[in-house]
Amino acid sequence: MSEKLKTKTFVFFLIAPAFLVLIGVVIYPFIFNIIISLSNMSLSHIKDWHFVGLRQYVKVFTEESKPSFYDVFLKTIIWTVVNLFFHVVIGVFLALLLNQKEIRGKAIFRTILVLPWAVPQLIVALTWRGMFNYEYGSINLMLTQWFGLPAVQWLKSPVETFIAVIITNVWLGFPFMMIIALGALQSIPHELYEAADMDGASWFHKLKNITIPLIRPVMVPAITLGTIWTFNNLNIVWLVSNAGEPSDQTHLLVSFVYKAAFNFYRYGYGAALSMVIFFILLAFSLTFMRRTKATEAAY
Amino acid sequence: MKPITRRFGSINRSTFHIFLFSFVIAGAVFCGLSGCSPKTTEKIRITIWHQDRIDIRVVLEAQIKKFMALHPEVQVEQLFKETESLRSGFIIAAIAGQGPELVYGPADQVGPFQVMDIILPLDSLFDKSYLDQFDPKGLTYYKGHLYQIADKLGNHLTLVYNKKLVPKPPTTEKELIDIGKSLTRDLDGDGKPDMYGLAWNYTEPFFFIPFMTGFGGWIMDDNGNPTLNNRGTIDGLKFIKDLRDKYKIIPNESDYEIADILFKDGKVGMIINGDWSWSGYEKAGIDFGVAPLPKITTTGLWCGTMVSPKGFSINANVSEEKKKWSIELIKFLTSDENELEAARILHTMPTKKSVLASDFVMKNDIMRNSQIAIEHGRPMPVVPELRAIWDAMRPSYQAVLGGYKPAEQAAADMQNDALRKIREMNE
Repeated sequence: MSEKLKTKTFVFFLIAPAFLVLIGVVIYPFIFNIIISLSNMSLSHIKDWHFVGLRQYVKVFTEESKPSFYDVFLKTIIWTVVNLFFHVVIGVFLALLLNQKEIRGKAIFRTILVLPWAVPQLIVALTWRGMFNYEYGSINLMLTQWFGLPAVQWLKSPVETFIAVIITNVWLGFPFMMIIALGALQSIPHELYEAADMDGASWFHKLKNITIPLIRPVMVPAITLGTIWTFNNLNIVWLVSNAGEPSDQTHLLVSFVYKAAFNFYRYGYGAALSMVIFFILLAFSLTFMRRTKATEAAY
Repeated sequence: MKPITRRFGSINRSTFHIFLFSFVIAGAVFCGLSGCSPKTTEKIRITIWHQDRIDIRVVLEAQIKKFMALHPEVQVEQLFKETESLRSGFIIAAIAGQGPELVYGPADQVGPFQVMDIILPLDSLFDKSYLDQFDPKGLTYYKGHLYQIADKLGNHLTLVYNKKLVPKPPTTEKELIDIGKSLTRDLDGDGKPDMYGLAWNYTEPFFFIPFMTGFGGWIMDDNGNPTLNNRGTIDGLKFIKDLRDKYKIIPNESDYEIADILFKDGKVGMIINGDWSWSGYEKAGIDFGVAPLPKITTTGLWCGTMVSPKGFSINANVSEEKKKWSIELIKFLTSDENELEAARILHTMPTKKSVLASDFVMKNDIMRNSQIAIEHGRPMPVVPELRAIWDAMRPSYQAVLGGYKPAEQAAADMQNDALRKIREMNE
């Protein structure tokens, strides 16, 4: 056996187990999903399904439903942008605070701030749902008793419910960004700040010209991941709004897919909608990574 | 020693062999764990998927142990799954030729399972003398065949009342309002009630059904077509809204958990809840009674709840040998002795005629009133279209309670949405 062949055999044995798992859990389901999306698989055609071309995709964009695909898509974009904005701003802000030399007991603060991320989402969602109750929830009790403000119908009106689920998810999501940002901040050489101090740079200039450019290569992939996770976050919206309440006004695209596929057995339609979501996220990720030059080295 | 490659210069031949050996061992272990190895046990495994709460699980587990003691060659396992994940999980597993031998749940799951051809018709598997022992409500037929045998009847709603606050339960909606008004109190003088007369999960349309039937409505005709745009729906919606906004005897906002906690804390005198909740109130130390939901005086109709048996269906993929034991297990779990035991511990309504006629069911106050509530109720349809009807009702129902849709418009929208969703489901 030649040296080259031996190398290839060895490499093959190294990657074969992982590749087999990849085929089983990613590639096969993905291809099967594409096939279903081109079929009429549903409650009455679960075993005798056949290909119907792009009919399910056309339905996704043209079907009359309440709310429509476009309403839900717009809501999903608002949900993602608002959540990501607060996740990053709060996360980076707290990371900057925790990165200060003067702060004592950093480990304790770090642990406390990571807690929202460590608690299971189911518990978080149901706890927040209770907290948003009109009469007995702690949010309204604080608003009325501490601040003298009127109580809010958090879970009865569409806008307020949407705000409630966003608040819950912001609380859940900032620790991830904080941990990532803190790791990036700690890797910045301190000499850069000392040199900037000698040049008389202000706090803002140091943030703009040293901190942000140097944490960017770490934050951009984290933001990309955060966007995909937030866009596809079913648990919080489903549990806090009790499956889209009130009146199906609190849906995201992913909960729309869930409902179509698992509540109404519309497997073909659900698969087509999930492919649309996939392409939206793929386009976003590629564009975002290219525009932010995330893969380029910082130094 | 000669290196294998230039790139992996530090890896010599023996290291490579060790790696290969480890890989083979790991593969063998993985294979063994996943069932590739020869069977080490001869026991026949029967699995039941169900969605029962913890106290029912305890009773079921004890009965399964008794069955296994009688049949040591059989290993029975029960697996809890939340209602929706049981339904979708069973569909996925059974379509792939897998899944548990027995699936247990409310009768409305029979419709989709039958349409997908993933459960067996039971008519020919059980003899007539055995089936004749059941109250007809305990046997779920669909499209002319038997698909489910129930051990519990009900899943129905009742008026549960705190005896300390409500000595005598209301029998009409007027009495309900009067008692509710007397119980709704502002104890601390802050202008907001601290106690209410009544609470229930009034965001969920299942709990709206008694009000709809009380005012003369029903969800579908005998052919499975929705009939939601009717006077019963409109008047039922207005009545609930009046309970909150006019008579102010129910909390401003109440889902299942809030209503349940308020009742357990003694902050509401009455709650509309099902047989599944009673043991929780017993454990919470509430001295409670159970009554059928009241009669609407203007129509003369009782607020009739949906009644659904809960029982066993057999997976279409089951082998002949396992089918035999699945049948035995169903017969054992629905035996008179086991049904009576469950009724005594859980206050669930049995399905065998002899147990229904037993002293315990006839004389126990909770069981007697539960039976009256069942008699006032209507069977839950088992057609798959029911899913579309619930989903069509929910948004408009919530919109009425949210104050942004009149009841008449809501009833019309429910009907149109139901028709559209049924069309989409059956496309």
